[in-house]
Amino acid sequence: MGLDQGPWLMPLAISIVKFMVLFVVLLQLPPILIWLERRAPALMQRRRGPNRVGLFKWRLWGLLQTLADAIKLIFKEESVPASAHKLLFQLAPVLGLIPALLVMASIPLGPDLLIAGQRISLNIVRLNIGFLFILAISSIAVYSVTLSGWASNNKFALLGSMRASAQMISYEISLGLSLVPMVLIYGSFDLYDIVNGQVQLWAWGIFLAPLSFVLFLICMFAETNRAPFDLAEGESELVAGFHVEFGSTKFALFYLSEYINMFALSLLCAIFFFGGWQIPFVSHEQLQQLLASQNLASLCGLAVLLIKAAFFMWLYIWVRWTIPRFRYDQLMTLGWKFMLPLGLVNVMVTALVLTTRF
Amino acid sequence: MNPYLPVLFIFVFGAVFGTIMSLLAKFLGPRKASAVKQQVFECGVSGDDTRVRMSVKFYMTAILFILFDIETIFLFLWARTFQTLGWFGFGEIMVFMAILLVGYIYVVKSGALEWD
Amino acid sequence: METLAIFYTLAALVILCSLMVITLRNAVTSAVFLIADLFLLAALYAQMGADFIAGIQVLVYAGAIVVLFLFVIMLLNYTPGHREEQGEGGHLERAFGAGLLALVAGLSVVLACSSKFSLVLPHAFPFADSGDNTYQLGVALFEKYLWPFELSSLLILLAIVASIFIAKKKPPYEGKRQ
Repeated sequence: MGLDQGPWLMPLAISIVKFMVLFVVLLQLPPILIWLERRAPALMQRRRGPNRVGLFKWRLWGLLQTLADAIKLIFKEESVPASAHKLLFQLAPVLGLIPALLVMASIPLGPDLLIAGQRISLNIVRLNIGFLFILAISSIAVYSVTLSGWASNNKFALLGSMRASAQMISYEISLGLSLVPMVLIYGSFDLYDIVNGQVQLWAWGIFLAPLSFVLFLICMFAETNRAPFDLAEGESELVAGFHVEFGSTKFALFYLSEYINMFALSLLCAIFFFGGWQIPFVSHEQLQQLLASQNLASLCGLAVLLIKAAFFMWLYIWVRWTIPRFRYDQLMTLGWKFMLPLGLVNVMVTALVLTTRF
Repeated sequence: MNPYLPVLFIFVFGAVFGTIMSLLAKFLGPRKASAVKQQVFECGVSGDDTRVRMSVKFYMTAILFILFDIETIFLFLWARTFQTLGWFGFGEIMVFMAILLVGYIYVVKSGALEWD
Repeated sequence: METLAIFYTLAALVILCSLMVITLRNAVTSAVFLIADLFLLAALYAQMGADFIAGIQVLVYAGAIVVLFLFVIMLLNYTPGHREEQGEGGHLERAFGAGLLALVAGLSVVLACSSKFSLVLPHAFPFADSGDNTYQLGVALFEKYLWPFELSSLLILLAIVASIFIAKKKPPYEGKRQ
């Protein structure tokens, strides 16, 4: 792919429009997820959860609670510790948001749309190196955690951030290793190719590389610092971990990036292991004929992918209220002594099976 | 279109949006700073030496991370070309991994991965 | 023309960030500029069409090595307040630094004046215009550069053993563990 290819103004404009739509959708994530994250455990623990805040007489199951929370967060006083490093304190939340947005933008969300004779792909960034770009960019997200802890000049925050960043880098290797078999099987870094290789149900990643799926799933939780690996913010020992000093809109930014990352990893899990937007037993072409429209079929694909990803979002919440927190040494032992060798064995076995088949 | 153009746009957008968001609190929220409020949140037991010395374990983790990261990248490159290279590439990567396995066993035996 | 403009903008930014890295007093802010520096270098590679190298640059240098630097800074507990005790370095060191700078600047000027130097960028990366340069890079690495590749594993092995050997020496502050 050469770098300067034809006109750039129109494609860029389309990309920007697509990104703005995506961004507006992403902004809706935290309110809905926080609401879910409070109502779901209430359901599991037989209590009610937030159900008061509503509009006039409609309570809407307390859905407006998080809207109220968001407004409250924005109008809160921001307190910066006197001993904090002011510049890095401002920079840290932004450094978390940028990689999250870039990762989200490089995930394809469905088959192409056809609008006014133009093919519109449902992703924004598509590079030669495919999902290696996602791995590279998400490795930058560590700095948000490390720097926020250091900039706060707070013992708990620093310790929390060191723990969180050590955890993130440890599991990043296993995450990468769990994806090597995907490249071996589908022969490409491009997420479109990987999804197109999973048209048949038996060709789904989970059937061809089940161990990869298990490793990826564990890494998903560890990379986002979610329970049961949330000891970076173990409330009982470290107050809230690396973001303890961050209030008001900065806290909201941390929350936003965390949920975007969760969503992105859920989407990736669906794409790598559950066929992305493929529907079992119905190929995209068949769907197109059935619905007599390419756009409708593509939107169906998008909906299917979102449903698959929604399951993993639900899993995040489910696991959080089911499995107790790990201890830090257990976490590191799991990462380095089990996941890493398992990942290597997984790569070898997959390669061995594939080479004998050729 | 240069495929990196949208990357640049999102980068700039994220930076601008993030900065505006984090500056928004300065204008919208109340501003009543006080010495006590600006203390760090350490449950009142704050000492002078806030930037505590970290365990050498973190350094070990970071070093091992870099080394195994490099290994993963080689694996990715091999995985991409694997269908062309076949058994030859497989043997090559096995030698590569066997040498690194020695290193990994040394790491485990030396106790560098023990977090007590 | 555009590629040239992009190249020089990126190159200027790289130099600016590098200067910030070595002139800033606070080690952590230096590290932050180092991240920006390495990231911009990746952009430079990407602009030349070497996507895979750019990806690795971000993954390994910007994403891993600076993490190590930051951890070491925190391990050594370096705070800006300590710098008065450290001293500024003697005249000899300063003279040496200035001499090196002058040498590099002089060489650049000589190079720029010589006839070999041209404003047009050569295609630095041989696979830049081919469809999938990651694939070609892989084939080249695993077929043509087989021995260097296998030797690199020995290098990594050496690094693993050496780093553990250094870290295993009991430091004097062992009792103060976190």
